Amino acid sequence: MTAEAPPVVAVDKEEQVSAPRPRVRAWLSRHPLAAYAIRRLGLYVVELWGALTIAFFFFRLMPGDPINTLIQSLQQNYIYNQQASAEIIARYQHEFGLEGNLLSQYLRYMDRLVLHGDLGPSLINYPTPAQDVILRALPWTIGLLGISAVLSWVIGIVVGAIAGWRRGKAGSAIITNLSIALAHVPFFFVALILVYVFAYTLGWLPARSAYDSSISPGLSADFIGSVLKYGLLPGLSIVGIGAMGWILSTRMLMVPVLGEDYLVYAEAKGLKPWRILTRYALRNCYLPQVTAFGISLGFIFNGNVLVEQLFNYPGLGTTLVTAIQQLDFNTILGVTNVAIFSVLTAVLLLDLLLPLLDPRVKYWK
Amino acid sequence: MSEETVLEVSGLEVVYSTSKGDVKAVEELDLSVRRGEILGIAGESGSGKSTLAVALLRLLKPPGKVTAGSAIFHRKGGSPVDLLKVRGEELRVLRWSALSYLPQGSMNSLNPVMRVEDQFKDVILEHAPERKETLADLIARLLDQVGLEPRVARMYPHELSGGMKQRVLMAICVALEPDLVIADEPTTALDVTIQRVILQSLADLRHDFGVTLMVISHDMGVHAQLADRVAVMYEGRLVEVGDVHQIFKDPQHDYTRQLIDSIPRLGRRAS
Repeated sequence: MTAEAPPVVAVDKEEQVSAPRPRVRAWLSRHPLAAYAIRRLGLYVVELWGALTIAFFFFRLMPGDPINTLIQSLQQNYIYNQQASAEIIARYQHEFGLEGNLLSQYLRYMDRLVLHGDLGPSLINYPTPAQDVILRALPWTIGLLGISAVLSWVIGIVVGAIAGWRRGKAGSAIITNLSIALAHVPFFFVALILVYVFAYTLGWLPARSAYDSSISPGLSADFIGSVLKYGLLPGLSIVGIGAMGWILSTRMLMVPVLGEDYLVYAEAKGLKPWRILTRYALRNCYLPQVTAFGISLGFIFNGNVLVEQLFNYPGLGTTLVTAIQQLDFNTILGVTNVAIFSVLTAVLLLDLLLPLLDPRVKYWK
Repeated sequence: MSEETVLEVSGLEVVYSTSKGDVKAVEELDLSVRRGEILGIAGESGSGKSTLAVALLRLLKPPGKVTAGSAIFHRKGGSPVDLLKVRGEELRVLRWSALSYLPQGSMNSLNPVMRVEDQFKDVILEHAPERKETLADLIARLLDQVGLEPRVARMYPHELSGGMKQRVLMAICVALEPDLVIADEPTTALDVTIQRVILQSLADLRHDFGVTLMVISHDMGVHAQLADRVAVMYEGRLVEVGDVHQIFKDPQHDYTRQLIDSIPRLGRRAS
């Protein structure tokens, strides 16, 4: 190239000076997928930093003094009659990372969070560190809401695809109208009905807590059975309603695809109907559902507050509500950070996966 | 060319139901297709030629329906069936292995998320699972037949040009050596140079595979180049069937004459 083109001398010099850079560039242009992944990862780091920073400053703007709240609660709980001395307040401020101006607080917070994975002590369960409080609640939330979310998605895609495929038939019409009617009923309303029927009237299933407190937690069959039994009602209320939304949106995506030329062609080919449904119709329309699922994961990690409260489920939603009531900065920030991290990571993974799911998706040149 | 018939259509009537009553798209149509021939179906837009194709392929969707007639289809090594009556599994098995379809290339007939080879694979394995071992060779040979390189097999439809897509569709339609291929406007929406190549490839396919082709086209030029016999349709009825030379040299029906006159010629401008 350079031999043929008549380059200006200055350009030649520049190329010599920055010799290693073109080599990197050349490698990147030969590996477009790697270049894309690197760029996308860089963006991920920036997004993560930005979101964590905004969350930090946002919560510091909340009115109220957490140290005051702590001392008040100590006074009430331990009959701690003395007035808090300046020393004690300073000590607690130090411990909660509240001393100094906002900028130095931020720097210390980021240093602790990024380098040590430490959020500082929680207030709602002082002196347990906030990350431990969150880690204790996290498995319950992932177990209940995560599994429910995956189940609603899978059920919604399968039923919605069949409802779209058989549109015009009675069964499809019933499912579609039922979904329209139920899709926006709140979870907690269904939960209340389920509790009334199965826990209160029939007495088949427990209505509160996450497991039978007489069984000690562990990997025993009894404990796992108990967890499943206690999770059934809250899970059902979330899956029952959550699936309806997915059914509707999948059906809506499916119907226009059925009019495409390649479906007529597939029929002319004499393929089995199930194969036409999955490989020709669904494969061409389910991509938006994959993206929507990744985004919906964010709501999981915020915890479904009302359902968790209703069933007294020890998940993140309950933790978050308690933390807000007591102005527990560290725990509130921690729960927010979990949500930020999971949504951004889910979107990153989806962005990297989508080109594999649909060959028409190309981010690179 | 033998006198053996592949398809005998008699008294075919297809209607589209509308709120203002039924509209007859095809009426009292009798037609036979001989084995090994290329039969052209000519006619203007709305003459019912595409409806005829769709009805024979059993791809007619409501509000269209066949109200009368029969289409007796003689398969190699099979008893004759009435294409308009066969249902369900019997119809599905008959599709492609005996009766295949060549759609217009500009349509999105190829599944956008499947590689070209997979779109050969699914139909071949569906109807002839015993070819699994030789599949890769078969696909390469079929692509070569229509003048495409083997690497096209690994590509996706959006990476192909319109002419290449049309050729892929042609290669797929003869993959199972069917008794009859119904081609609906195979050259429409392609530029004239590609049209010529496609017509040549269709003629070659007939030569190499001995396929029987029913070519639907509004373009009399296509029929002049390709067809052995031409059937002319007008307002749902067949007005004339004849040898291609007879049709062009000595058209019996007024409408046929007008159709031939409508072919644009160099040196004659529309007034």
